[in-house]
Amino acid sequence: MALETYRADAMRCSRCAYCKWVPLDLMKSWRFSKGCPSIEFGHFHSYSAGGRLVTALSLMDGRSEVTEKVKDSVFKCNLCGSCDVTCKMCRYDMEPLEAMKELRFHLVEQGHTLPQVEPVIDGLRRELNMLGKPRAERGDWAAKLNVKNLVKEQAEFVFHAGCRYSFDGDLGDAARTSVRILQQAGVDFGIMGEAENCCGGRAYGMGYKAEFETRRDSTLIAWQRAGVKTVITPCSDCYHTFKRLYPPASGCDIKVVHMVEFLDQLLGEGKLKFTKPVPMTVTYHDPCHLGRQGEEYVAWNGKEKKIFGQAVCYDPPRPRYNGAFGIYDPPRRVLQAIPGLKLVEMERNREAAWCCGAGGGAREAYPEFSNWTASERIEEACSTGAEAIVSACPWCERNFLDATAGGKRKLAVYDVMQLVEKAL
Amino acid sequence: MEISRDAYRAIEDIVGPEFITDDPAFLDSYAFEWLAELVRPNRSHYMPRPWAVVMPASTAEVQGVTRVCNKYGIKIKPISTGWYHWAAPMKDNDPTIQLDLRRMNRILDIDEKNRFAIVEPYVICAQLQAEVMKLGLNINIIGAGSSTSIVASACAYFGGGPNSYSMGNNSDNLLGQEWVTPAGEIIRTGSLSSGCGWFCSEGPGPSVRGITRGVLGSRGGLGTYTKCAIKLNHWPGQKVLEPKGPPPGYRLEIPENFRVYTIGAPDWDAWVNCYHAIYDNGIGYVFHRQFNLAGADLAAALWLTYIDPKKTLNDVETASKDPAIQKVAEEGRISFQLILAGNSMESIKLQDKVLDAILAQTGCYKVARFCEPDMAEFTNMYMQRLGHKHCNFIWVGGYMGSWMQAGTPDYVRNYIPTAIKGFERDQKSHLLVECGGDATMGCGSTIGGGGYFGLEQFVSYDPNDNDSIDACIKHMEDAIKDAISVGVPAGKEALYLQIGWSDERIWDALSKIPQQFILNFQTKIKDAFDPNYLGDRNYQWIPPGWGQKADAK
Repeated sequence: MALETYRADAMRCSRCAYCKWVPLDLMKSWRFSKGCPSIEFGHFHSYSAGGRLVTALSLMDGRSEVTEKVKDSVFKCNLCGSCDVTCKMCRYDMEPLEAMKELRFHLVEQGHTLPQVEPVIDGLRRELNMLGKPRAERGDWAAKLNVKNLVKEQAEFVFHAGCRYSFDGDLGDAARTSVRILQQAGVDFGIMGEAENCCGGRAYGMGYKAEFETRRDSTLIAWQRAGVKTVITPCSDCYHTFKRLYPPASGCDIKVVHMVEFLDQLLGEGKLKFTKPVPMTVTYHDPCHLGRQGEEYVAWNGKEKKIFGQAVCYDPPRPRYNGAFGIYDPPRRVLQAIPGLKLVEMERNREAAWCCGAGGGAREAYPEFSNWTASERIEEACSTGAEAIVSACPWCERNFLDATAGGKRKLAVYDVMQLVEKAL
Repeated sequence: MEISRDAYRAIEDIVGPEFITDDPAFLDSYAFEWLAELVRPNRSHYMPRPWAVVMPASTAEVQGVTRVCNKYGIKIKPISTGWYHWAAPMKDNDPTIQLDLRRMNRILDIDEKNRFAIVEPYVICAQLQAEVMKLGLNINIIGAGSSTSIVASACAYFGGGPNSYSMGNNSDNLLGQEWVTPAGEIIRTGSLSSGCGWFCSEGPGPSVRGITRGVLGSRGGLGTYTKCAIKLNHWPGQKVLEPKGPPPGYRLEIPENFRVYTIGAPDWDAWVNCYHAIYDNGIGYVFHRQFNLAGADLAAALWLTYIDPKKTLNDVETASKDPAIQKVAEEGRISFQLILAGNSMESIKLQDKVLDAILAQTGCYKVARFCEPDMAEFTNMYMQRLGHKHCNFIWVGGYMGSWMQAGTPDYVRNYIPTAIKGFERDQKSHLLVECGGDATMGCGSTIGGGGYFGLEQFVSYDPNDNDSIDACIKHMEDAIKDAISVGVPAGKEALYLQIGWSDERIWDALSKIPQQFILNFQTKIKDAFDPNYLGDRNYQWIPPGWGQKADAK
């Protein structure tokens, strides 16, 4: 794909500005009516999906050049996909999220990178993770868990902890709890341990497509050698990467399961029961990569065709990713199955969820923006009366922990797996 | 055009460096506007670039920026949500500040008892509606939908919508307003002017509201409206709208004191008779001809596809060939959406009974498929929040409205056949979306009395195809000729096209309209409030003597 692929999207943008809001039908208050963190923080139209389409067009047509401000507007965005949902409320021929990613690739390919991101990418190249930690320590979290190492053995399932769960000790035992549940369920699985790669998804979001492809290919080869058919992960970033970004690679037919889906399945089959009450009121934060961006990948290689003279559709029909079929209910069912736990909803949920602020490289490149985005979500969570915000992604949790640090807001932050552990 | 850096710095001092930019790509994001390609040279999607974009946070900052503009001779174009080609600067090489008011985004007060709310320019209809519904109140959401600014529709544009039938236009609903004139004065109108609050729109002296807006408003051409009060209306529905289902076709449960119908008519005479009878009997809360925006041939196929989240426009093509859906299309060919709301069960039952009697009397009927729960709940959501209005662009991203001349139902009925015939003719080029000759839609009534309304022909074209753009322009020109041929003045298409005209061409056109003294009067208003002519021509005026020159020719 090249930026030129999205010229038609730009030319057909009606500048309606839906991309700035939650779907209008879902708006329940003034306070929580906004959908796009980027435009709320950056203010100018260029910080919206519609604005970025124009930026792409303007650059392609040589009307403007890449300046520091342009770079700021292109990269100061979580790629959360809220705009994609609202744009597609009324359109079938627009892909604003994909266009924004392509704009990033374009800038990075031309050398317009962010200096604050370079060390992160260097760390990825060197240590194969996004935290710049020693790669030799990647499998340490699984010590004493008696799990197959798929570098040496074979298994149908691989459990992929991801960079954040592998190295961030503040996030508790989500990975270890996941492993224990898989073991109790009798799943034939293993881990890659020290050889586990970063999935590459965050590099992709930062515009480093080549780095993503390297990580993807390396991961797929390792899994193929180990006979892996299914990957299970508690990380929504990795989940999205495996589910949506890997399949276009030739020969990739890996089934992707998030831990909350697996838990939900066990509960549904009566193979898992929670025994200990967790008397707590919590609200669930839909990770962008599990929710609205968590829809099934559908291969498509088609072209635009016109019907009724000028109406646009596609031959064959183009898959539609608009958040309608994201992973929303499994984590909620898991939480609701915990005795004593009360689940309350934030105004912006499911496909309309406000982002945690960690995505799209924002956490690494723009900590102030990232933290502000998370703080907005914390405020919304507090407005529900919940004692805790629960998510199913370590990147969300890390950002929420940082936003609540200092005690301004007394709100606990959990992963679904942490509450599951309490209930077992 | 290069402008003094002194001017830039002076504005920067007022708003702060992070709220002004002249980065070319940023400027382009404001110059790029819907409809531009229909009026700009070489079908450019860009209106003239602003010289800078400025984001004030308060009335004082707007005033400060305006004064700097007066000092340096820079034109001012304020926008709120910033939609339409006339939201951009009008002329190349005419340095213009784009005043983006998105930082002025607060609901300042909701006076529940006296039923009005005070808002800043970047408060959109959906936000205010969500807040006032909690209090059992509602607002008129304009036809362009709930993503639009209340201040813009109330102070600076037409302001009609589906709720206008029961609530009036936002031009009617405008109460006190705060206005920074192009000269940099702050004027507070109506009861505000005497320190009595926001409850009344008229005054000081002769109607200042009339000066600032008129029927179509100044569309950003005569200063900046920084606050206004808007009338609130009774809402007997849910305190919080809780839509259900996946996107895009969210559905809203219909309370027992509501009814949601799509009403069909066998012909336009019956449609008009039904309209009159509904109006005369005072039933109904929302009255709008909405779904026809997709074109009468395709509306049923489109909307029945749209409410299925797994389907796409490819499925519309299939659906349009389904005999069962074609039957629905015929039933709904001349139709409108009507929502009844009762303050009690007795009230809603009575309204239902009255409606049934009207339908029996006029030969109109309920379009059965569109009244089934799935479509009725979708219709309820659509019409109550107007959150799907950009389905106007659903076919291919470009739409332009022709006709829309407002008048009584009889008046509109008389031009509709010509509008339909003309659109059928122009679709034969295959360069416009072929949706049938009748894609007319509009509010049931745009003011709270008399049933005054208009129907706009929704013409869809591909903004990414120059031939399609040209076909749309040709249709606009044809529509003007068609209108004149039946003794009707030019419609909305002329308003759009004029944005691309030179001043002289506009003045020539204006000099031919009857009652020239109005333009002379507006010129005096312009001189008084905009002595340096920093506002643009969306506030219409004519140079002294221009009319006489035209007469002499």
